[in-house]
Amino acid sequence: MSERIPITLLSGYLGSGKTTIVNHLLRAEKNLRLAVLVNDFGAVNIDADLIRNSDATSVELTNGCVCCSIGDDLGAALSAQRERTPPPDAILLEASGVSEPARIARLVGHWPGFTLDAIIVAADGETVRQRAGDKFVSHLVQSQLQCADIIALTKTDLISSQACLRVQAWLRTASSAPVVIAPDGAVPPELAFGANSGQRRDGPQPEDSEHPAFATFTWTPSHPVDIARLQVVLGNLHEDIHRVKGQLVDARTRTPMLVQKVGQRCAITHASDAEQFCLVMISADEQMDFKQVAADLDACAAASR
Amino acid sequence: MAEITVFTAKKIHTMNPSLPHASAVAVRDGRIIEVGSLETLKPWLDQHAHHIDNRFADHVIMPGFIDPHLHPTLGAILLTCPFITAIEWRLPDRICPAVTSHEAYVARLAEIEAEFAGTDDILVTWGFHRIWHGDVNRTVLNAISTTRPIFVWQRSFHEIIANDAGIEWLGVARADLERHPQIDLSTGRFFETGMAVAAQSLNKVLMEPTRFRRGLELVKQAVHLGGHTTIGELAYPLLDDAREWALLSETLERDDVPFRMKITPRALGRGKFEGNASEDVERIKGFKGRDSHRLFFGNSVKLFTDGGFFAELMQMMDPGFIDGHHGEWLMAPEQFEKHARAFWREGKQIHVHCTGDMGLELALDTLEKLQAEKPRFNHRFTIEHFGVSNPEQVRRIADLGAIVSANVYYLHELGEAYWQKSIGFERASQMARVGSLERAGVTFALHSDFTMAPALPLNSAWVAVNRIAESGAVLCAEECVSLDAAMRAITIDAAYVLAMENEIGSIRAGKKADFTILEQDPWDVPLEKLRDIPIWGTVFEGTPFPHSK
Repeated sequence: MSERIPITLLSGYLGSGKTTIVNHLLRAEKNLRLAVLVNDFGAVNIDADLIRNSDATSVELTNGCVCCSIGDDLGAALSAQRERTPPPDAILLEASGVSEPARIARLVGHWPGFTLDAIIVAADGETVRQRAGDKFVSHLVQSQLQCADIIALTKTDLISSQACLRVQAWLRTASSAPVVIAPDGAVPPELAFGANSGQRRDGPQPEDSEHPAFATFTWTPSHPVDIARLQVVLGNLHEDIHRVKGQLVDARTRTPMLVQKVGQRCAITHASDAEQFCLVMISADEQMDFKQVAADLDACAAASR
Repeated sequence: MAEITVFTAKKIHTMNPSLPHASAVAVRDGRIIEVGSLETLKPWLDQHAHHIDNRFADHVIMPGFIDPHLHPTLGAILLTCPFITAIEWRLPDRICPAVTSHEAYVARLAEIEAEFAGTDDILVTWGFHRIWHGDVNRTVLNAISTTRPIFVWQRSFHEIIANDAGIEWLGVARADLERHPQIDLSTGRFFETGMAVAAQSLNKVLMEPTRFRRGLELVKQAVHLGGHTTIGELAYPLLDDAREWALLSETLERDDVPFRMKITPRALGRGKFEGNASEDVERIKGFKGRDSHRLFFGNSVKLFTDGGFFAELMQMMDPGFIDGHHGEWLMAPEQFEKHARAFWREGKQIHVHCTGDMGLELALDTLEKLQAEKPRFNHRFTIEHFGVSNPEQVRRIADLGAIVSANVYYLHELGEAYWQKSIGFERASQMARVGSLERAGVTFALHSDFTMAPALPLNSAWVAVNRIAESGAVLCAEECVSLDAAMRAITIDAAYVLAMENEIGSIRAGKKADFTILEQDPWDVPLEKLRDIPIWGTVFEGTPFPHSK
């Protein structure tokens, strides 16, 4: 069986900025062939010179990405993506504003041929607190935040810096997910998609108009790794290290293991094939200092020697 | 001009309070000329050619029954499946007796499987419910057949159970099924999101055009069997418009079809939760001009607040559900308000699907705002389904001038189950509080939302007047309605909900000659026997359509 296609679920209440994030990611992703599935096709903004083909329900871009309307059958829309040759490297799925992301994640993350990568929940910096106390949607908005692997705080350019700090502090009480500030929907694609999108050099990555800043760090272990100890290190990782992915050798069994962490959700599973043994870490904070984590990780490899 | 036909009857209940009873009705060109007695009809009969038709001399004539909320397309998918149900279902091509034990369920399924011998069709049966039918699992189904794919579809559409041949038939990689948290291959259970995986393959069979046409044919017969002469399709389209319109036109716009269907389009396309309200207003204008004799659009539109009642996804106010789960919104409340406003300003009649008390609260809060912004009289904002509510909301419905179309059958089938498992006795026993509506003077209709309830208006009326639950116990007698109100709710008040009361719903001069012919008088039988009254058939626009014996 061919590899399952990873899905990044983009959730968030009505007006939280999901479409802006979609627009941003479609422009900013340079390495992956994305399929973007959206509810309201008309709201997605694609530069005319990037369009190769389009019809009533999909647009094919010159960079190999496609943007499709979900229509009335989400399962069928996913299966159709799998039928494409070649299938996309990753899916970005925009959930409706009233859906419970946990339920959609269960549906799409286990749809035949697919697997869940990450749940990103957009939160409108101006209104999210008020909505979390609303007569009709308080439960929904709170549960969306709680399901998030990463919260993208949008519309921060419309509020004062104090207000922005206040809402960030509040979000920490409402959810355990790390918060990425994303005015104009500027979520780094490296955060949104865990699929291998080519080699990135380590350190702060320069910001351009389309590409928000982020930092990466690659750790290459000197020896097989004590997995139990690694779990502890990953569990206590700085909350602004938003993603970890890579393959390692288990010191106990000497078998290759796949490590994936998005936000607070971490999975260490058996790897099917391994070429390179290293962990890549990504932070939306371009000034992130990886020294401490590198030392902690080195200890995991040293301990197992 | 055609000859006048005069139908005489043992009794005619006109549902016109100014002349409630009669013994003869004169009909010409599909319309009522006059109702009264042969004596009072004399001035017409002296002047015009006529004949007297005494075939209903021993029968009771009522206005043709109306179900203002029924989904033929949904029914077409289900009616091609064999039913095995805990409660009896009377269908045009079969009566499905109540099957209430595990042993009886398995025996019935084996019988049905045997009837499939010689075909390689898959077997999809609907109606399974664990409370009655126990543990029907893969092993049990394998004992019935190892070669024919068998799928057992749960009554509230939450779950499908398959045998090994069924699991294989789905054509999904086994590894993909094994890792699914809501698929259990050892028991053959596919539930919730796991069921969606099975349904994806099953839909290809259930929606296959030949089978689907056969299903629509059965729906047509079911509608006639219930004694209806008018139905409302209250959320068009279910599939895509072009395909569904072609199928409905081909099946229902025919001389042998004894009913008409008013179609209320969805404000948002199916599967959509958000959208641009002004674009949707334009899209719905596009249905104009498509009307044919039996299929037509009006000035109405359908909106949704909360999730399904059978699925327990209604939005509940505190204290919510016993197990702590939450319902869902089918439109974001702000989006609901935007759409409602756009259609309110267009002068549309807005029907709102509301199942829980919080869903209803959103509809009423919104209506109150709209009334303040642009007051309207006779707007007929209609609360559809009316599952859980509270008495204060009923008063508000009356204050705001709204009306109700209730699925009172919820109480019969779910009253006790929701008392025990979902929301407790107080709120479960008061679901569909139609008695309060009658006391508050709110106009209400009864509907089936077929296939959520049987498409049998007398059955709905029976629940409304008796509130007899599945076990036979009476739940909240305080919310029973009078027989008069119940019979209005399937005739003239249902016509009012469809904004067709000038054409149908009662028997008076000028209206369409639509009658339901009963073998007994609803006002003479004990209330508990109301649903057992045999129906001879109907008269649609002057033409008798007997039920085939």
